[in-house]
Amino acid sequence: MRRLILLVGLTLATAGWAAEEDEPQGSVVRVRAAIQPYDQFRPWQKKAPYGLNGTGVVLPGGKVLVTAALVANRTEVGLEKPGSAEKCGAEVEAIDYEANLAVLRPERAEFLKGFKGLALGPALRAGDTAEVWQLERNGELLRNQAEILTVGVGRYPNDEAGFLQYGVRVSLPKRDDSYTLPLIRQGQLVGMVMMYDRDSQEGTAIPGPMIERFLEDAADGKYDGFPTLGVSWTPLRDPNLREEVKAPKSGGILVTRVNPRGTAGRAGLKEGDVILSVDGMKLDEDGNYRDPLYGPTAIGNLVRVRPTVGSKARFLISRDGKEMELMGTYDRRARDEVAIPTLSFDTQPRYLVAGGLVFQQLTGAYLQEWGDKWTERAPQRLVELFTFQQEKRADPDKKVVFLSQVLPAAINLGYQQYSGLVLEKLNGKEIHSLAELAAVLDETKEGNLVFEFMDDPGKLVLDASEVKQRQEEIGKAYGISELRKL
Amino acid sequence: MKPLVVFVLGLFLAGCGRDGQLHEAKKNTVMVEVTSQVWDYRMPWNPGTVSSGRGAGFIVAGKKIITNAHVVSGARNITVQREADPRRYAATVKHVAHDCDLAMLEVEDPAFFKGTSHLDLGGIPELESVVSVYGFPIGGDRLSVTRGVVSRIDYNAYTHSGRESHLAIQIDAAINPGNSGGPVMQKDKVVGVAFQGFRGDVAQNVGYMIPTPVIRRFLKDVEDGKYDHYVDIAVRWMPLENPAMRKYLNRPNDGRGVVVTDVFSEGSSDGYLQKGDVLLSIDGHAIESDGSVRLEGKPVQLEEIVERKFAGEEVRLEVWREGKAETVQVPLKPADMFSMYEILYEPPPRYVLYGGLVFQPLTANLMAVMAGGADLRLKQKYTMFATDQMYRETPEPVILSAVLPDSSNVYLRGLAGQVVREINGRRIRVLMDVEPALAANGERTVIRFEGDSRPAVLKRAEVDRSTPRIMAQYGISEASRTEVGERRLAKGSFAKEEGK
Repeated sequence: MRRLILLVGLTLATAGWAAEEDEPQGSVVRVRAAIQPYDQFRPWQKKAPYGLNGTGVVLPGGKVLVTAALVANRTEVGLEKPGSAEKCGAEVEAIDYEANLAVLRPERAEFLKGFKGLALGPALRAGDTAEVWQLERNGELLRNQAEILTVGVGRYPNDEAGFLQYGVRVSLPKRDDSYTLPLIRQGQLVGMVMMYDRDSQEGTAIPGPMIERFLEDAADGKYDGFPTLGVSWTPLRDPNLREEVKAPKSGGILVTRVNPRGTAGRAGLKEGDVILSVDGMKLDEDGNYRDPLYGPTAIGNLVRVRPTVGSKARFLISRDGKEMELMGTYDRRARDEVAIPTLSFDTQPRYLVAGGLVFQQLTGAYLQEWGDKWTERAPQRLVELFTFQQEKRADPDKKVVFLSQVLPAAINLGYQQYSGLVLEKLNGKEIHSLAELAAVLDETKEGNLVFEFMDDPGKLVLDASEVKQRQEEIGKAYGISELRKL
Repeated sequence: MKPLVVFVLGLFLAGCGRDGQLHEAKKNTVMVEVTSQVWDYRMPWNPGTVSSGRGAGFIVAGKKIITNAHVVSGARNITVQREADPRRYAATVKHVAHDCDLAMLEVEDPAFFKGTSHLDLGGIPELESVVSVYGFPIGGDRLSVTRGVVSRIDYNAYTHSGRESHLAIQIDAAINPGNSGGPVMQKDKVVGVAFQGFRGDVAQNVGYMIPTPVIRRFLKDVEDGKYDHYVDIAVRWMPLENPAMRKYLNRPNDGRGVVVTDVFSEGSSDGYLQKGDVLLSIDGHAIESDGSVRLEGKPVQLEEIVERKFAGEEVRLEVWREGKAETVQVPLKPADMFSMYEILYEPPPRYVLYGGLVFQPLTANLMAVMAGGADLRLKQKYTMFATDQMYRETPEPVILSAVLPDSSNVYLRGLAGQVVREINGRRIRVLMDVEPALAANGERTVIRFEGDSRPAVLKRAEVDRSTPRIMAQYGISEASRTEVGERRLAKGSFAKEEGK
């Protein structure tokens, strides 16, 4: 009981102290996003809409910074001034789902007139303190004292490889508009809180240097994104393994797979190479380099955040005991040029309905629609192709087209139990995209349509002219206005 | 998956209300008490945990007792007892058929059979007809009788083996732990053996019994002194209901036939049937387009014809191939490519221990203990092993199932759960390949895994020092157990490789 009183007292004191500071107006706005994701299982329609509310940071140039998660799959985004109900629509100017950042531009430039905005502050270190700002209903600022617990590379909500992040301890009261919150130190923006656990009172924040890189990239109106190396690697602490791969006495990591299209692959790195240093920064046995600011930091920050797409990469490697230097250019092709994309926000899934057979192009988003246990629940062939893509579907031009479901109709009698089947051929022609499938369908006016699948039952046959005849009827019966979205 | 539970050691006794039947059932139903030991696949060298339970059985002609396989699985001690005789008699397992959950027991002491006769097997009871279930379910120690009607006759999973489906009869009499192995009777005859049911929170009044065709098949199979596995035609087929598909295959719209969509390599039909064959009849029974045939006037799946046959027998198929009808005789054998999915009860787990690394073949038992921890690659290997015919390459995938912590293997612990690809440059196809590969010359042993995992590298001299230490520490008396009794593997390419 006593503890509770203490806490209330503290909050009050904080709020009071905030009021004495210089005018907080002009630095944050409420951001209201109307979200409506596509239904991956019924790709012709969207799911029920919902709203997300966050607190955006006004940047000196009159734009607003939020997390990408706040505006993913949006139908509409609006800004609202904290002290009044004055509203304005906003456009997403640049967005990076991996880095979880987005810049919004108000539809009316004069809307943020008078807002002076927040400048970016310096990078923080573990032990530093900062504030997480929240907005009260009346527009007052609530400044919550936060402590930076850790600085290191960790997973972002939509990025498995990892980016630099701050581990933050802060006690955040429940307030509206808290989906995105700014991390502030001495009146400067030092991070964006992206995740928070109310029980442990710990959260993670996107560090200032990530934001800086993102804004610099977006400034020229053409957003390139963060580069990626395109390798799998393993630490080299095990002395027996070091001996086996003829690694030098200390340092370095072992490359276990190389994407030939990635930065490393095109620089000439191979499976079995030991990477000793990148861009002159030595790597230790766990893949950490010594960052001038943060101390030992994972390679992820070194190769994804420090360089930009198009900048030069320099690798010192040991191959079969011989040291050599390899030069390359940073890019993100290992991530973008793939057969099965991991992320697909804001875009309608592609599909094609023929004779009630629904074909879709495989994406990570489709698989994730199966829920947390998608690796167990989704059709196993699709899980395999996606997860082991580099082994099973390395060619990015060979998209995976699959039969996702059958809309029962007389024409597909006997086929209605099938789903999750990867299509290989139609009438003997290999199919690597929905467009190719559509082309063969369109040129086959009559006769059989023989669909060949990777798995049992192997073949399904429909009559081409009957498929054409029934299209409209099936579309009507199931309320699908567009039978194709290629 | 519906949680269908096997009631370990349950016996079920039903009275049909007729004095004669009750009298016979009382005389010939026995309580089976079993102490069993279950192998621990986490620690395959251990003899396993001991538990005991109770089930039922009944006496059939020839002074044999029939019960469920799951009642006597892993039995170390079995006693049987009759209503009329307070003494317990020692019994032994004569035959056990895990695939159809049946077992035959023998009692040496002739005194046990004093005052008994035997129960005869009947046929398949009619839907809605009344049956009585006799057994020793929870709630008391004496014989119990319940009654119910036949609710459904259909193929169903036999959960004991984890892989099989056979004909099963659903009845609405409650089947509870302790009913297992007991006779279900109608008109003085046994019409089934009570064996599994749903947990109360899933479904009520749904119990299952093994029907007499399955019991008869078991009795006939063991006539030669040993039990063989069920045979399988080892093809996949799809119903031939779609008119466009029928036209494509040149079949008239007569509602007959199914189309073969896959033929399992090394299975019964390998070399006899092809993808795209239309199966028109089986042993003279016309096949409907949904895959059913009429047997004794009742519609059943075409597999039922194969189910009743034995290894070495043939099945005659009328096949429509490339526009012509042909007759194909398929000699039948068990489908060994699916044996990985069969839960093992009797044989001790096989393994190889090397420097704290434990290698085990991939089995249903191993997957059950690894379940949550298994990585996706291993799970997919298991799930798609038969359908992708991986057994042709690796009849028995070998898994690094555990790394027993020791100062010599601190860097290898994260590798547990990986599928072994090669050891010292030798491809590993079965567990038996592991020891010879480990014995290869060289200062270091290099174990490579499937996928992009790092290799495990061990120094031979270090392993020589650590192995005795690890065995002492973890109480392991044997460094390996690679061969135990009967081991059925899909052979194929491995055998061919060896022959080179």
